[in-house]
Amino acid sequence: MSGYRFDRLKILVVDDNQHMRKLVVAILQAFGTTQVYEASSGVRALTVMRDESPDVVILDWMMDEMNGIEFTREVRTSPTSPNPYVPIIMLTGHTSADCVQQARDAGINEFLAKPVSVKAMLARLTAVIEYPRPFVRTANYFGPCRRRRHSEDYKGPERRSEIEIIDQAAS
Amino acid sequence: MSKPKPIEIFTPPNMLKAKAGGTGVGLDAAALKRAEAAMEELKTEFADWMNADVEKLGEGRDAFAKRPCNETRGQLYRASHDLKGQALTFEHPVVARMAASLCRLLDGSPDVPLLLIDAHVNAIRILVKQNVRDVSDPTTNAVAAELEAQVRELQAA
Repeated sequence: MSGYRFDRLKILVVDDNQHMRKLVVAILQAFGTTQVYEASSGVRALTVMRDESPDVVILDWMMDEMNGIEFTREVRTSPTSPNPYVPIIMLTGHTSADCVQQARDAGINEFLAKPVSVKAMLARLTAVIEYPRPFVRTANYFGPCRRRRHSEDYKGPERRSEIEIIDQAAS
Repeated sequence: MSKPKPIEIFTPPNMLKAKAGGTGVGLDAAALKRAEAAMEELKTEFADWMNADVEKLGEGRDAFAKRPCNETRGQLYRASHDLKGQALTFEHPVVARMAASLCRLLDGSPDVPLLLIDAHVNAIRILVKQNVRDVSDPTTNAVAAELEAQVRELQAA
């Protein structure tokens, strides 16, 4: 048992399909979340981000107006972003390796493939609560660290050999 | 003058953990049970939701047939992609398979024959209307395999 107080979290569900939104909202409410917000596009989600300051975003990929990838880039990199650090869980049917890579490069935290499963949904929420990734800023990327694992056996070129690691709370 | 930093790595404060608390040990079994019950309750609505998604697919097909262009092709692709993800959740695996084939057709072929689109859309309509969900049914498997083969053949040409 993990005993999370999901009732203290504000969660934004962004999907252009109202049935999928209803399903995800029902699952979140069953977890105990009481503050769930909905948006049918990235553009509307940005408005909710500004008005309600959600703690977590659950995001579809394919939407009109602004898709999930464009929304994530906007949240992570726009100077007017309400919260560039907000955890984003992408819930999508785009599951090819290329798509996962594209989503990670945009700055999502966790990837959740459809079909929706309550266990997988809870696991991703637990992951963003318990194992938040450090943030990385480079010339062309800002977002959660995209490296999943640290391998002691890695023998390739070390692109981060000259990194200055600033392990401090973000202001 | 110091060298510009090529990469910065930093750890934002974990506000989420501060708010949600929890022991961090395992998944919350009670929450899982409640959510599974909520999903079971919603299953009574899945048939209506599938019908609505199939109707949207039909609208996408009609728009593309009337005016084939990138815009209507995109509309049809989005409808089939939605169906691909939703059908699995709504326990229609064969529909999901055929919708995935339709996505591949629309995604990877420069010229898309309406006949092959219709073959997908009509098969999906029949499966939903007759509530066919059995992945081991030989007839539906044969139809799905044939649709996939036609798409592969078209894209290899």
